Amino acid sequence: MDKILVILNKEWLEIRQQRTLLLTILLLPLLFTVISVGTFITIGILPHIGNSSTLNTLSMPTLAGLSSIEIAQAVVGLQMSLLYVLLPIVITSVIASYSIVGEKTSRTLEPLLATPIRTWELLLGKSLSALLPAIVATWLAGGLFILCVALFSLSARVFAAIVSPAWLIVFLLWTPLLALIGIAVMVAVSSRVNDPRTAQQFSIFLVLPIIALIIGQVSGLYVLGPVFAFAIFLLLVLLAILAIWIVTRLFQREVILTRWK
Amino acid sequence: MNAIETYKLKRTFGDLVAVDDLTLAIPEGTVFGFLGPNGAGKTTTVRMLAALISLTSGTATVAGHKVGHDNTAIRQSVGILTETPGLYDRLSAEQNLIFFARLYDVPASRATAQAEHYLRMLDLWERRNEHVGGFSKGMRQKLAIARALLHEPKVIFLDEPTAGLDPEASRIVIDFIKELRAEGRTIFLTTHNLPEADELCDTIGVFRTQLVQVDTPRNLREGLFGHGTKIRVAGDASTWVSTVQSLPFVRHVAVQDSTLSVALDNPDDQNPLLVQSLVTAGAQIRAVEPISHSLEEVYMQLVGK
Repeated sequence: MDKILVILNKEWLEIRQQRTLLLTILLLPLLFTVISVGTFITIGILPHIGNSSTLNTLSMPTLAGLSSIEIAQAVVGLQMSLLYVLLPIVITSVIASYSIVGEKTSRTLEPLLATPIRTWELLLGKSLSALLPAIVATWLAGGLFILCVALFSLSARVFAAIVSPAWLIVFLLWTPLLALIGIAVMVAVSSRVNDPRTAQQFSIFLVLPIIALIIGQVSGLYVLGPVFAFAIFLLLVLLAILAIWIVTRLFQREVILTRWK
Repeated sequence: MNAIETYKLKRTFGDLVAVDDLTLAIPEGTVFGFLGPNGAGKTTTVRMLAALISLTSGTATVAGHKVGHDNTAIRQSVGILTETPGLYDRLSAEQNLIFFARLYDVPASRATAQAEHYLRMLDLWERRNEHVGGFSKGMRQKLAIARALLHEPKVIFLDEPTAGLDPEASRIVIDFIKELRAEGRTIFLTTHNLPEADELCDTIGVFRTQLVQVDTPRNLREGLFGHGTKIRVAGDASTWVSTVQSLPFVRHVAVQDSTLSVALDNPDDQNPLLVQSLVTAGAQIRAVEPISHSLEEVYMQLVGK
């Protein structure tokens, strides 16, 4: 446990020295929140937008009986809420890519592996250094979003439509798993690339399904209900277990020193 | 007692044999020089002995622990200076050392003191709070050496310890290595700086995938080139060749200008007779010195085989 804390401390010392990383962790959640809350509030207070025919055609059973403007606010709120699922993926991919590819390029992996630290301790320390800021930032930003939705919803039903059981499952259960999978992707990619920005591009494989989720809901293809959300959660658990298994095989002393290019 | 022992150590990477049939015994408290051309397998050997990569076959024991069985204990007992220093540019010198000290299980209360001790010893204390990213190559090298020693290891692997250092810093490191040996620590040194190896090493192993030769520097020289004496005389030395050749113990004579190079089996006993016969014959002796071959000559002979 000691060594994991030592790794964590070092990683955060380094993060504080890197403006790009620091800005990502601090500004990105803020930006997401400002955009989502701003859009949500604007829809509610600008009737000519709220009453537009395009938004009003997006009907969902949970929104039955609401006024046009309430529907518009609820729909926008629902789309904005899914942005928070992107946050942990983006934050972990940025931190983990700098953390792991950075060790490669600065040639610090070998002296690090020459210490008595076990590889699982090193991997856990590095994973936590990416996971914890990602989850904390996501939940804080999401919490702020929930608060703003509560304050600025046109009605309690609008709030209930946005901060639904399904969304809470997504927000509380999906995000840590997505962050973990994001880290696993970065470890796997880092074994082959030598630039953090190249590694980050591979996070698109996680981002795309989330975007598809948003588009699917916007286009009325499906409604993200609690059962569907929980089913995806179970799938993510399996994917996370698979990801951890792959990563622990890749993150071995012998493999790192002889096969990482 | 041996600090490092290997028996028929072998490591392959697919079809490539990087290290083959390496058998070594390195006593405690000695400096062992591991010499060989680039790509010979020296780094692979060090990685195996430092329990970083596995052995394909054979056995090895380092600091009393068996490689492949007690790897964590080995890593706790050895210090390693890798080919590139591998330091964290965004951390200060002191932060780098404390980080690694903690990974070597040096208690937090002692880590700072150890860092200070080695920073002062290697003349880096004044720069302790500066980011390593701004350090010169030589300063990084010194810091990396300090890192290898923080946990007071019994066995230390040093890969090119004086590479990139100015003469003054090199001297500090060389003297430092001698101190470590005097403390009873074992140094496994890979270097291309042959005069440095000659000065430091108790034993030298010349390696090229397999061990070509291992012995003390003196025995390596004498084994290849034998003993001999150089005598500088007044005038042309060829005048005195026949005089020298007539002596029964002389194996061979070579002449260059005013210098005779005489191969002998036992210079200590035979030099007085050699000088006496030349003086009796009328030669004016200007200088007498042993024939010395550089380690470079030894190395080139062995590696060229």
